[in-house]
Amino acid sequence: MLALSGILVWVILLLIFIFLGFYGRRWKKGDLSKLEEWSLGGRKFSAAIVWFLVGADLYTAYTFIAIPSSVFSIGAIYYYAVPYVAVTFGIAMWAMPKLWKVSKEKGYITASDFVKSNFSSRNLAILIAIVGIVAELPYIGLQIVGMLSVLTVMLSGIANIKMVVDLSLILSFIILAVFTYFSGLRGATLTAIFKDAIILISVALVIIVALVTIGFTKSFTGLPTKYYHILPLQVNAYWSLFLMSALALYLYPHAVTGSLSAKSPKSLRISQSLLPLYGVGLALLALFGILVYGNSSALNFLKDTFVASSRGTYVVPALIFYTLPAPLTGFAFLGIFIGGLVPASIMAMSQSNLFTRNIVRELYPKMSQSREALTAKIAMIVFLFIAVGFVFVFPLSYSVQLQLLGGIIILQTLPSLFLGLVTNKLNKYSLMAGLLVGLGLGVYWMEVANHFHAWTTTLLTINSSVGSLFIGFLALSANLIVVLVGSLIALPFRKKQ
Amino acid sequence: MSQNVTAMSKRSLYVTVAILTIIPFVALAIVPTYVRTNPEVGGLPFFYWYQLLWLFLAAAFFLAAALLYNRYGGE
Repeated sequence: MLALSGILVWVILLLIFIFLGFYGRRWKKGDLSKLEEWSLGGRKFSAAIVWFLVGADLYTAYTFIAIPSSVFSIGAIYYYAVPYVAVTFGIAMWAMPKLWKVSKEKGYITASDFVKSNFSSRNLAILIAIVGIVAELPYIGLQIVGMLSVLTVMLSGIANIKMVVDLSLILSFIILAVFTYFSGLRGATLTAIFKDAIILISVALVIIVALVTIGFTKSFTGLPTKYYHILPLQVNAYWSLFLMSALALYLYPHAVTGSLSAKSPKSLRISQSLLPLYGVGLALLALFGILVYGNSSALNFLKDTFVASSRGTYVVPALIFYTLPAPLTGFAFLGIFIGGLVPASIMAMSQSNLFTRNIVRELYPKMSQSREALTAKIAMIVFLFIAVGFVFVFPLSYSVQLQLLGGIIILQTLPSLFLGLVTNKLNKYSLMAGLLVGLGLGVYWMEVANHFHAWTTTLLTINSSVGSLFIGFLALSANLIVVLVGSLIALPFRKKQ
Repeated sequence: MSQNVTAMSKRSLYVTVAILTIIPFVALAIVPTYVRTNPEVGGLPFFYWYQLLWLFLAAAFFLAAALLYNRYGGE
């Protein structure tokens, strides 16, 4: 268990975090009974704030847990997260300012709002909204897995650990729900800046100490080739993973929410262009998966405490625990803990925007503005606790598996959203058909790739010369073919506008 | 005449900005160029530090494109 001084630091910082969450309500004051004010902070965030807010979505449990865990257990191929982060903003810096402009003009809150008017299709918009909500759920689930792993390492060895960990988790989510209800995106943004400051300092400290005391040479010694670099047969898997992830990031509703909160397209473009720098911390965290091999006490702790299949989840907390002194460990652990909470709040807010704007409003078009905001606030709480419930009902590994599927699912909305930003000539029925074909084949190929057992991989083996490819790439290709062929066939029947 | 000049420079602006944006994609998409261990930096294989370096380079290329476009290309 972490020494008392560490726990104390953790608790004090958590209190500051909660204070910031509530204080957000007063920051850049606006009428929070309007959905645009509550969920987009009134569209007045500067380039620097948007940089932090969108970057905050990068330092999530995906970065702390999923990537280092996989580098640790599988090897260099999971370093694909680095080229992914390097290039994703090259797409965002052009696509998002464009979406921002139409959204500001017409009062859009979500990407589905845009899809609805661009293709004049209510059904397509509802479909995109449902896909967005579903793809976000396991992402929130993954955040919870990350928070549980920190609590587990921090409190390891005490009696009734499971009960204490579960109670702390539920309590934190109640507090999160309450301040998100009152402060909306303003609270999430203030706490995001706080969290990232803590995380960046922690990562720098661990890297410096680990390099001085262990060093890369010692960590790599004895590891097989697949840890030094990817193998020649993994080349196609590598590019398909990183390019598709780069395309997927801005299809996630929470990334759209962050982008639309900017005050102008120009400042949004500048902040996006500088976001690759945010990935440096992500790259260093991925290397924790290697550095831990050089720290024998951390490695022994992992081997003695956890079974092989779940060991990876605890790599980052364990390395921090055995590298930094107790107070600094408490500091870093709090960073990771709220590194799960903050994105969870942004994600649940973006789900509730979709639910309110694109599903409830379609059923009750006469809903007043304050009624709309209230619906979104209540929906946010419901979505947060669905995710919590999910983690308690199903085994932990299940949410990691579903998170893998989330990326494949959200990619299928690319034709409607990204191609929609360039053209409105695509046929709406073809877009719907393509989306459904992509989803169906995506799930089917996941089953085939995992031999109809528990999902552990998103790579489908093609043959011995190509190697394997990311299923998201294959499913998106099928989707695009349906959309393009369908739109071509429908072209002669297109009504003049 | 002057309108031609604006059209020309608008076009060269778009081309420049497109090239600046695409360079990091192309560099990283040619995966076999960095699938190797040597030269190492401080014990870190080439594969890792080369891609880490590209985070900085990508930000530089994207920022250049963003500034150019914001300055001369409108919103």
